[in-house]
Amino acid sequence: MTLTDPFALSIVAITALAFLGLPIGLSMICGSVLYLWMAGLDMGTAAEQFLNGMYSNYIILAVPLFIFAAEIMNSGSMTERLLRFCNVLVGHFRGGLAQINVVQSLIFAGMSGSAIADAAGSGRMMQAMMTADNRYPPSYAAALTAVTSVVGPILPPSIPMVIYALVSDASIGYLFLGGVLPGLLMVATQMIQVAWDARRHRFPVEERVPMRDIPRITWRAFPTLLMPAILLGCIYSGVTTPTEAAALAAAYAVLVSVVIYRSLSWAEGYAALLTSARTSISIGMMIGGALVFNYVVTIENIPETLRTSLTGMDFSPLGFLLMVNIILLVLGCVLEGTAILLIIVPVFIPTAQALGIDLVHFGVVVVLNIMLGLVTPPYGLLLFIMTAISGAPLRDIVRDCLPFLAWMVICLALITLFPGIVLWLPRLAGYGG
Amino acid sequence: MTLQRILGWLGRRAENLVAFMLLAMFLVFLLQIVSRYLLNLPIGWTQEASVLLWIWLVLFGAAFVTRDREEMRFDLIYGSAPPRARRIMALITAVALIALFALSLPATWDYVTFMKVERTAYLHIRFNWTYAIYVVFVVAMILRQLWIGIRALRGEGPKAYDPTEASSGV
Repeated sequence: MTLTDPFALSIVAITALAFLGLPIGLSMICGSVLYLWMAGLDMGTAAEQFLNGMYSNYIILAVPLFIFAAEIMNSGSMTERLLRFCNVLVGHFRGGLAQINVVQSLIFAGMSGSAIADAAGSGRMMQAMMTADNRYPPSYAAALTAVTSVVGPILPPSIPMVIYALVSDASIGYLFLGGVLPGLLMVATQMIQVAWDARRHRFPVEERVPMRDIPRITWRAFPTLLMPAILLGCIYSGVTTPTEAAALAAAYAVLVSVVIYRSLSWAEGYAALLTSARTSISIGMMIGGALVFNYVVTIENIPETLRTSLTGMDFSPLGFLLMVNIILLVLGCVLEGTAILLIIVPVFIPTAQALGIDLVHFGVVVVLNIMLGLVTPPYGLLLFIMTAISGAPLRDIVRDCLPFLAWMVICLALITLFPGIVLWLPRLAGYGG
Repeated sequence: MTLQRILGWLGRRAENLVAFMLLAMFLVFLLQIVSRYLLNLPIGWTQEASVLLWIWLVLFGAAFVTRDREEMRFDLIYGSAPPRARRIMALITAVALIALFALSLPATWDYVTFMKVERTAYLHIRFNWTYAIYVVFVVAMILRQLWIGIRALRGEGPKAYDPTEASSGV
């Protein structure tokens, strides 16, 4: 492959344009058009791939709907009531508020599929609560909010898993189930780390909620707590497809916020719609660009070439997984997660299949890597968001993230080595892989 | 100032429209769930309508609603570059995009108009109409980058991506 090769040139063009600051989706369309032109192919193919790809991949519709659901939950008082309920559960432990942060992320993860939505919504409230009266250092609160948000897309539902399902054709339902145990494992390690930090730094304890208030607080949070159950129930009883479940999640969030909690005004509802639309457009352009570019990658036969050369190199499945982990972790430090999922991951999938790696297992490993990338400097979206919310220096937030990051790497190593952690639950539900 | 006011007004109407498209998508989904599972009357057109709304939402939105700060990019370099370097970078990408999009415009037009031979399965809409938004998108992108390029020449590059404005959904 030389530099005058159309494919090499299109890769160079995409990389250069993207790093010069052109939006990722547009960079991919530009590079692909360049390829089509140089290779003497019909340049209308770019439009064809974009449009037909969007038209035939019905499952992507889950993405805007999950975004909308999370936006509604953050606008209404669902998040706030959830926090009060978590206070009843773990507030009286040492480092109570920090534990609340972990537990609320766990419950929120069961309703929302986006780590960013978690951090920007409930994370903002947690940050304010934890730093009021100097109870916790702002950088610790920000770091904790960032790392607990990471669990969001590992536990079902999950937007990154929908995108992985799009590029791999793995079942969304089983992918979601596969994330349950790894997600709980991560939450457990976070609680251990918080308990340890709390004793070391003498973090404050929250006042114990009087017994007589507990039923009322639980009752007030009950419709919110019911949501993960309804959502998963609908998907796994086969009542709805995961895409329809996304619409149901949004409908339920609207119902609870408007009818039961009476906390969503027209203006807030419109703002939630518009914000979700903006995010959907941003992600839709990336998906569209990737559809066009993946066509180029496919006619150049790149995934197959990689498969032949890697299987020829006598890679063991474990060696391959470790290599993918390292590549994705390094890329996660500098690139954005959805882009990695859409551009880099498809290239590995045929090799994974050829080596007999289960695609649900592979998907959960990949998504965990992408999530780690959200909190690894220099490019970590959650770090940027928490810097913006907390005002604490990025350097301090990164420092306070490090112990949690170490735990996450341990979890990643465990689920890479023991596919059973991922696959046990899907198999219990009838998964044949 | 009047031109700016007209553009501002149009911008808000475009925002209304994308918010409405998302709402419509959501309602169409609910209708589908209700008719299939509660009334036991599966209807085919809902799936088609929601996909078409999604395509229009993305392309129309990218053309008329998205702001610089909301577009996902690798801004590791751009975000930390000094203003002068940003202007040069913006100029290069603007020229590249205008050239490539303009180059592909005739073929894109041919593809979209050619699609008039097919109609969608349930709603029987000709595909050239549903896909026309891609041509609008290409033209709007060329104009937008032209404007970004002129602005970069004259004074400033586009603003860096701000993850608190809009996310990529991860």
